[in-house]
Amino acid sequence: MQQRRVIDQVETNRVLLNGQLDTPKWWLPTVIGLGIVVIIGFVIIGFMVNRGLGVTGLSRPVYWGLFITTFVFWVGISHAGIMISAILRLTQAEWRRPVTRAAELLTVFSLLTALIFPLIHAGRPWRIAYWILPYDFARGIFPNIRSPLIMDPVAISTYLTGSTLFLYVALLPDLGNLRDRTQGWQKAMYTVLALGWRGNPRQWKLQTVGGILLSALMLPIFVSVHSIVSWDFAVTPAVEGWHSTIFAPYFVIGAVHSGVSAVVTMMALMRWLWKWDDFIRPEHFDALARLLIVVATAWLGFTFLELIFAMYSLDAPEIALRELQIFSWPWNMMFVVFLMTGYVIPVGMWLFKSVRNNIALMFWTSLFVNIGMWLERFMIIVPGLSRRTPFVYTWDSYRPSLVEWSILVWSVAWVTFLMLLFSRFFPLVPLFEQKESQIFVDRIKIGRASVPAILREQE
Amino acid sequence: MAVDVDKCTGCQACVLACQVENNIPLNTQDRFERNRSIAWIRVERYWEGEFPDIKARFIPIMCQHCENAPCEPVCPVFATYHNAEGMNIQVYNRCVGTRYCANGCPYIVRFFNYWEPVWPESLRNHLNPDVTIRSRGIMEKCSFCVHRIRRGVRKADSEGRPLNDGEITTACQDSCSTDALVFGDLNDPNSKVSEMKKSDRYYTLLHHLGTNPNVFYLAKIDEDREVAHASHESEGGDGHE
Amino acid sequence: MATNSAIAGDTAAPEDHGSHGEEIAGHVVLLPAQVKNTLVDSTSAGSSRFMRWAIALSVLSVIGIVGLVLKFLAHSDDQTKWGYTAAVAAFLLTVGGGAPLVAVAPVLAKANWVRPLTRIASAFSLIGVVTMIVMIPLVAVLPPLVTEGARRRSIWFESPDWTPHTFIFLAMFTLLLAGLGLFYTTALPDFAAMRDHSSGWRQRMGKMLARGWVGSTVQWRTLRMRIGMFGTFYFLILIYVHFLFTSDFAMGVVPGWRDAIFPMYHAMSSIQAGVAITILAAWAGRRYLGLQDYLRLDQFWSLGRLLFASSLLWIYFFFSAFIVFWYGRSLADIAWVDLFIRGPMIWAFIPGMLMSFVVPWWWLIWNRIRTSVDGPAIGAVIVLFGLLLDRMRIYVSSWSVPPEEIHDRYLKHIPETVWPDAFDYMIIVGTTAAAALVVALAFRLVPIVSIWQTQEYQLLSKPVRYIRGHGVLVAKPD
Repeated sequence: MQQRRVIDQVETNRVLLNGQLDTPKWWLPTVIGLGIVVIIGFVIIGFMVNRGLGVTGLSRPVYWGLFITTFVFWVGISHAGIMISAILRLTQAEWRRPVTRAAELLTVFSLLTALIFPLIHAGRPWRIAYWILPYDFARGIFPNIRSPLIMDPVAISTYLTGSTLFLYVALLPDLGNLRDRTQGWQKAMYTVLALGWRGNPRQWKLQTVGGILLSALMLPIFVSVHSIVSWDFAVTPAVEGWHSTIFAPYFVIGAVHSGVSAVVTMMALMRWLWKWDDFIRPEHFDALARLLIVVATAWLGFTFLELIFAMYSLDAPEIALRELQIFSWPWNMMFVVFLMTGYVIPVGMWLFKSVRNNIALMFWTSLFVNIGMWLERFMIIVPGLSRRTPFVYTWDSYRPSLVEWSILVWSVAWVTFLMLLFSRFFPLVPLFEQKESQIFVDRIKIGRASVPAILREQE
Repeated sequence: MAVDVDKCTGCQACVLACQVENNIPLNTQDRFERNRSIAWIRVERYWEGEFPDIKARFIPIMCQHCENAPCEPVCPVFATYHNAEGMNIQVYNRCVGTRYCANGCPYIVRFFNYWEPVWPESLRNHLNPDVTIRSRGIMEKCSFCVHRIRRGVRKADSEGRPLNDGEITTACQDSCSTDALVFGDLNDPNSKVSEMKKSDRYYTLLHHLGTNPNVFYLAKIDEDREVAHASHESEGGDGHE
Repeated sequence: MATNSAIAGDTAAPEDHGSHGEEIAGHVVLLPAQVKNTLVDSTSAGSSRFMRWAIALSVLSVIGIVGLVLKFLAHSDDQTKWGYTAAVAAFLLTVGGGAPLVAVAPVLAKANWVRPLTRIASAFSLIGVVTMIVMIPLVAVLPPLVTEGARRRSIWFESPDWTPHTFIFLAMFTLLLAGLGLFYTTALPDFAAMRDHSSGWRQRMGKMLARGWVGSTVQWRTLRMRIGMFGTFYFLILIYVHFLFTSDFAMGVVPGWRDAIFPMYHAMSSIQAGVAITILAAWAGRRYLGLQDYLRLDQFWSLGRLLFASSLLWIYFFFSAFIVFWYGRSLADIAWVDLFIRGPMIWAFIPGMLMSFVVPWWWLIWNRIRTSVDGPAIGAVIVLFGLLLDRMRIYVSSWSVPPEEIHDRYLKHIPETVWPDAFDYMIIVGTTAAAALVVALAFRLVPIVSIWQTQEYQLLSKPVRYIRGHGVLVAKPD
């Protein structure tokens, strides 16, 4: 708290709008570079759709592989937004303020990316929309709502709609701000988008109420999305590693772990790229890291509960699966990497205040978490399928093909690309939140000491 | 369908017959190596006992047409469903290829077409005109030779008589030299399969999963062969009721 | 931030009841001496009524103990008769174990509204004494790991036969110690206040327990460190106890029941029950001890929200397990649904579900209800009854499985409904009364509202005008 500097509103505007009004030099080359990667990725996806899923490394019985893993991974990342914005907003955590926009953005873009994976992973993607969306009543067949694969798009599209609204509502004051500072076509665009925002008390009240309502309404959706994703796996009694009651909360807490870590990664990048040192401060990293220690430990607890009760059954196939998952090559190597990167290294380091306040270390540790979390999903999905099942002569492991790896790379590039594109037109740190926090912060005298204090409203 | 494991010699004739009957794409070396071969029925081999007192046992496995099929509720598009005759039906036109059903199947009898099926020119005319050729991107599995069932029912209807037991046979059954496979109507208490179901050798695969299959197996348990029983138990669940 | 703060509705109330404090726009300013005097006096307020209650509760407690002993003499060889006793033990563990978390968690999150509630919440760990007593016959009756010559499923795998019995007992004892430690540590400065400002046996007890507390900087620093340590330790040991209790007393005695979420479900309902019992005790403190200035609407509003949220979490954890069993449909899955949902205890399941989730949810969703004193209290009573029914559903069903079927891969025969006998009624009423008695006695010794935490908040906060409304400036020392 000591390093906080008083920043007046003019400076806030100038610095935080530099992405829009004073685009940095690195922006265009980076976007073009990423754009090329994205286009190549789309070409590869097109190639795969054109040739069929034979170009992947999937086989029988490993019918789901890297695509579903990556789908779960991106849905997990998307849990950052609501965790940071909604929950911390409802619990009035002050340090959330500069992070909210970036987190919501990450939610929207990672959901958009996640949605693509089940689509391209289907055998006949061109039919998905036609068969899964329940508009063709003439066929007389409604989609099978018992299938988690129907619940999935419903939950995800609800979440996407809600997050987009949430993002937009929080963007309105800043759009008004931008409208007043731009010329020409940009001004026209912001005028339309700002929906006549003038910042009068009624509008502020509506904006605040809208934000709180959306936060509260989004919470159940937030929980349901990853729960339903987990039920994709948990409802199958035949797959020992999947049929576990703990999956829903386990996935949700893991998603929060990876999502909040992704936000940390993003914050570090934002601080470096746009030089927002006065706004994204070490104290924010510190608070997020402390939150992450709690989340990560809860997640680890769930991991062990899952393992213990797998052992508890004492069923031979279940034990064999765990042996495969933990003790046999190459899964044992992955398991160690997963445990080290997902928990031991980052949380071990976050215990030290000097690490929590060190942006570079926070960047790398949070990146580690997401490597670990991706591996976690991979280690749930693939060994569950490639285990030795009775009555089968094909026991096979799975090796993702080059096509699959490049689509994974594409997805990362695609999210980054969308983010950068967004940053050209909209501020990544909410200006009004920043200004509000400046007003709420005060000092209070207790005896001889002067202590930082925060204003809480009462009616 | 009843499978008499004691009679099975493991000759694989059923596998071949099924391949020909149902236009199953050729399982080339490449497909085998990538574990993408398709075989609606397959014969698994188990060793019973310890050398030298050892015996090979064969067990043909095909879609079990479960009454309580794990593959059915998970399909988002109703591409697989249960029909009134108790069969588990795969509707190729509806299938979008999520492969969720295959993950749900404990018997691993569902197959995905990773590639468009191709036959050498010389075999083009050998395809069965009664059976759809599945395009790439969809699931397929044993249909109990549903085209033969439909043809049999139509024939009986046109002749104005009820269907006789044993009139409809599946391709695998036709090819079986030891009559280990028997197809019939379990709803008819006098049919051959109903008689076989009463046998004390009756069991179903993976009984504990509660799938309630319509394919059942007959196997004699040698009381002296503890090992055989145990290995069977671990493979097939607590099969014997 | 148009938060519908609770204070507005409460502004008139303290005036009517003769508030000691000066009130500025809903924020009651209390002088340190006022706080001390009022709270120290509260330990001896309403003595005659307290005596009547204490005697009644003591009589009921004795009945409970007698019931426990008689039942043990009558049925010590028949495990299936002990379901209700296990349910009561689980109920007491759930309620008493969860409440201190209400004291710990918001403190870690630096929430100020919880300050007047920490004492109430941590005092409920004392219920552990009663739970331990109920556990004695239960541990004696619990089937051994090796029954009928074969080893049953348990989290103890290959360990010797006595392990579950010993470890569950040790774990419960550790939990009790940790809870006592938390209670004692947070109350230490208040014992000193009792020593300095009360008379008679309270003063002597205060002197003994305060252990030379003078409030030096070193002592405060040590105290804060200890609170943090005990809080964390308590939380971890609580999760562990729930894990052992659920797996040994419920899952281990039902064949084929494998439910990884169940310990967390149990712990989750523990938080729900902890919030509920804290609301109830705060309600009683406000009503009978005249502490309107301390246990204010703000506290009830915040607790009401927590109760609402935990009801939602309850249904989430329940449903996470339910959908997997219901959808899975393997024979073990079907047996679970048959045993616990539509089986012998459906009479407890339906009202339990209604009272744990449906009714509290629809009740507490209204802000008007949450911003009252009686609203959350009614919700709390409903939740506690729902919890008791839920525990009966789980433990009575589990224990009614005959021991000879314990090794099966799945439950083949769903047992008949077991109804409570006379002993069970005695145990249920008696142990609950004993738990209430233990907590009530604690509040005779030390104030129900923490003196030092209230004083500290008065130091840290300052009412201010904010645009056209009112606000409080709250200091956040690192």
